Amino acid sequence: MTKRNDISVPDGYFQQLEQRLQQIPSARQEQAPRGVRRLAPYFAYAASLVLLAAAGNLILRKTAVSEETDAQWNYVSYLAQELDPDGLVELKEAQEPTDEDIRSYLLADNSISVELIASLSYEENY
Amino acid sequence: MENLEQVFNQIVKDYSERLYWHVRRMVGSHEDADDLLQDIFLKIWTALPSFRGEAQLYTWVWRIATNETLNHLRREKVRAALRFSSADELVAQRIQADPYFNGTEAQRELAKAVARLPEKQRQVFIMRWWDELSYEDISAITGTSVGALKASYHIAQEKIKLNLSDAHVSK
Repeated sequence: MTKRNDISVPDGYFQQLEQRLQQIPSARQEQAPRGVRRLAPYFAYAASLVLLAAAGNLILRKTAVSEETDAQWNYVSYLAQELDPDGLVELKEAQEPTDEDIRSYLLADNSISVELIASLSYEENY
Repeated sequence: MENLEQVFNQIVKDYSERLYWHVRRMVGSHEDADDLLQDIFLKIWTALPSFRGEAQLYTWVWRIATNETLNHLRREKVRAALRFSSADELVAQRIQADPYFNGTEAQRELAKAVARLPEKQRQVFIMRWWDELSYEDISAITGTSVGALKASYHIAQEKIKLNLSDAHVSK
């Protein structure tokens, strides 16, 4: 049995193959420089991490804003429904209580002794 | 760089045809051999700057080619397994349908029987029978001892004989 001549190739194949293979160096040089090519996967990995972090941040921010808006809206609804309409005006005009307001409030509460209130006033002044 | 290009072009001139026939025998079709040869020479070009001359250029080039071919066959095996078919049978089918096969029916049966061998035995048989490499050269390329290669070739021969006689009986 003869070993060769049982398979063949298209006409002129080896000449064309040789030319094609000899173009490999110039084709490779046209591509990105070797160092950049080698680092490309790491750049892609880093970029994807940054993208993921940015996307996560955006989602968190969006969620937080909408929760805040919901809470504000619920509070306003509560005031509008549960309190009288003047409640909103009162809330807006409300001021910080003075020391006198606090003392009057404490005096109105029978469970707190006058001595304790006096001592609080003393600490305040000295 | 120009010097490397000259070396590479010389490698292409000296080895492309010989490597083509080896790869063609291993994969069973002209198209696959053509694609694989492109990959092999791309690998040779990429690895050329790191060639230190410790091995002979001839051995180094052949080693890259045979490793790439075995990797290709292993990838094919995985793809075939995913389709619940056999990669070796696929190669045998390619040989059967190969438009560039112009040998006798006996030669076709031999090629198909070789395609059904395990990859390593197929590689050794093709290198010895068709590529006509010496056992010493095959040993330098594959890193297998000459004794083991002789044993492998003998087993391959026996399997081929068995396969051919089975094929003859079934006809």
